[in-house]
Amino acid sequence: MSNINISRRVFIGASMYLVATPIWASVFNSANALAVFTESGQFFTADELTILTDIAEIMIPRTNQPGATDAHVINVLDGLMLSWAGVETKFRYKSIIKQVEQIALASFKSDYKSVSQSDRESLITELDKRAFADRTSELSISYRKLKEMIFHIFYTSEEANPNFMLVPGTYKGDISKELLDLYNARGRVS
Amino acid sequence: MYDVIVVGSGITGGWAAKEFCEKGFKTLVIERGRHIDHRGAEYTDMQAPWQIENRNKVPELFDEEGRYAMIERKGYFKNATKQFFIDDKEHPISYPKESPFKWIRGYQLGGRSLTWGRQSLRWGVKDFQANAKDGNGVPWPIGYEDLAPWYDYVESFIGVSANKDGLDTLPDGVFQKPWEMSCAEKFISENLKEAYSDRRLIIGRSANLTEPTKEQIELGRGQCQARAYCNRGCTFGGYFSSLSATLPAAERTGNLTVVTDSIVESVNYDDKLGKATGVTVIDAHTKQKRQYRAKVIFLCASALGTVQILLNSKSKSFPNGIANSSEAVGHYIMDHFSGVLANGEVPGFDDKFSIGRRPIATYIPNYRHEQKDGVDFVRGFGFQGTAQNRSNTGTAARRVGIGATVKDESNQAGPWRFRAIMYGEMLPNYDNHARLHPTDKDQWGIPILHIDARIRDNERKMIKQAAKDIKEILTVGGCVDIQVNEFPESKPIFVGDRVHEMGGACMGEDPKNSVLNKWAQTHDVKNLFVTDGACMSSCATQNPSLTYMAITARAADYATKLISQGLL
Ligand SMILES: Cc1cc2nc3c(=O)[nH]c(=O)nc-3n(C[C@H](O)[C@H](O)[C@H](O)COP(=O)(O)OP(=O)(O)OC[C@H]3O[C@@H](n4cnc5c(N)ncnc54)[C@H](O)[C@@H]3O)c2cc1C
Ligand code: SF4
Repeated sequence: MSNINISRRVFIGASMYLVATPIWASVFNSANALAVFTESGQFFTADELTILTDIAEIMIPRTNQPGATDAHVINVLDGLMLSWAGVETKFRYKSIIKQVEQIALASFKSDYKSVSQSDRESLITELDKRAFADRTSELSISYRKLKEMIFHIFYTSEEANPNFMLVPGTYKGDISKELLDLYNARGRVS
Repeated sequence: MYDVIVVGSGITGGWAAKEFCEKGFKTLVIERGRHIDHRGAEYTDMQAPWQIENRNKVPELFDEEGRYAMIERKGYFKNATKQFFIDDKEHPISYPKESPFKWIRGYQLGGRSLTWGRQSLRWGVKDFQANAKDGNGVPWPIGYEDLAPWYDYVESFIGVSANKDGLDTLPDGVFQKPWEMSCAEKFISENLKEAYSDRRLIIGRSANLTEPTKEQIELGRGQCQARAYCNRGCTFGGYFSSLSATLPAAERTGNLTVVTDSIVESVNYDDKLGKATGVTVIDAHTKQKRQYRAKVIFLCASALGTVQILLNSKSKSFPNGIANSSEAVGHYIMDHFSGVLANGEVPGFDDKFSIGRRPIATYIPNYRHEQKDGVDFVRGFGFQGTAQNRSNTGTAARRVGIGATVKDESNQAGPWRFRAIMYGEMLPNYDNHARLHPTDKDQWGIPILHIDARIRDNERKMIKQAAKDIKEILTVGGCVDIQVNEFPESKPIFVGDRVHEMGGACMGEDPKNSVLNKWAQTHDVKNLFVTDGACMSSCATQNPSLTYMAITARAADYATKLISQGLL
């Protein structure tokens, strides 16, 4: 991760930034490991999906366990924008994408999609820190709301819950780790 | 003309229907909500977390439009369960600003039997004696011994998994195999047993089948599978509800008729005959009125629903509402109340785990029936609590941190923690009342309820003591890092929040100060009975529905005898 210094001014500026016209992405940039969407979703444009998917994967990357992309977090989010999100959330999620783009531009003199993977990671990491350090700005509120939903979708996904049992059969409250692993492997408490 | 009309199809209405139908009486159940099929499309219990619409989040539109305001942040109100709760914006009530009230309802076939927590606790001898002893409320006309056989009867049918704990304050009954306590809960339980003569931590008593009987299997019910998805409906019929148990039992007799989407506006009374003749119903959709006739009427519309019907049933003989010569209808409204939340770490079990989702918590029954330790209040409180799982580190969804390391550290097993919530007994107070609003009506033209029920001095004193007690209990129980959260005295407590609202048509010996006799039959109108929570003369600390069921079955038995003798 490159050691960038995202200035306080950039964040304040981004907080005031409101929704702008979405831009369509059309190329796949293999150089900076960015998954570029070429089709719009139900709510987000292709460009927005590209940025959101990247943000979600930076937040919850694939390790030896699946990450946000494996769990289709942003595809699910796109659907939820129509069935779950209210007016304010719709506005906030669109605006945070624009704000992230603006921060990228101000920090790297380049649009988000052209920024290197490590710089994108630095940017979102810094954004995360600042959003929790000062929770009052619009930027912070929008970011935290998006983060919470990304995490919610990931941690309720099948990929994040390999041991989930729909029908455990019974309850046991005093078992060893070995027994726990055995029941989980069986997919049933018996 | 039916033999019996039962208003409401929830926990008590289902019981009344079953009892009358099984005894051969043609019974009409009138339900204001929609029809629901047991195991039908509205049950969501077979959906994994990723299959639930909106990943189980209720649409934000509700918030934006101020809908479901009474329950919006409640753990039981999720996308998978929202269909079983009503929107208070559509069904408003009124209350004074300084004494807020929550009336949490489920208008559908089966009522709140679909979503209840299934904790099924008998009342003890002292609970029925409390009013007479300290002079609050109207003395109960029945005692534990009157209900004991009916508790047996009800428990046998619904199936209650519990341990025989041998406590006077919480009598044992007809139980199926209890749920297991976790290692942490056992540890606390054993420590309390050793240290106290009066305070116990026991496994909750739950209407979930652990050893289904032949009768239960014949009704299509199966063993509970430890999923804790009960408030989504249960495909296995593992927990007791009107849909899984009482209504199918009534149905198979051939004596049951059910009409849904039909709101009972009032009970019709014939001044000359001195009898109730039936009910007037408003169609929920067309708003057309119609009437049904029967020999006997059982009001089981839930405590406040029944109060509303009684007060709205005006006639020459009863200008202030049917069966209200005492002017006690609508008075003595109660609920359990909380005000203390506590938790503590249970050390020493880092190598132990749990698996499965037990559908019930543990319980510390009321140990303060007597005024001991110099306390300055009457009655008492208990605690519902649990340490069924280890705590876990959670995720960084609401805290700083992203990336691989944060992900790896998420949802890791943490220490065992026991969490407890106080359940206090609210005193029956005449001034805690519900009445018809003088001007505001619902969309069907029925006056809405104005409810003024307050947490008063006695309850506030209990909260203070409960905070002290639970700290001591958790310490003695072996917990460390104990946190106790006491609700500030300056803030109003919503009565109704525990969803155990009761009172409003209390039982008593004296027709001058009570609405019902010892059979839950109105003093004034012999063929009118009230067997839901409205009939309660005090509220004790135990979850009340098992007692409502026992009272209903007993009242139905009495009424059938009267009908057979031609007395109704
Ligand atoms: C989340 C939750 C957890 C709970 N946990 C527990 C627990 O663990 N233990 C416990 O004992 N209790 C618990 N309760 C409370 C329990 O659900 C009630 O005590 C019980 O359902 C009351 O039974 P009832 O028949 O009086 O009312 P309900 O079950 O509410 O049924 C009343 C029925 O009457 C219908 N109705 C109302 N008005 C009219 C009208 N005018 N005309 C026609 N029909 C009408 C309603 O639509 C409804 O179907 C819980 C409740 C909730 C919501
Ligand atoms: S826990 Fe038991 S009763 Fe509840 S939904 Fe699961 S199987 Fe049914």
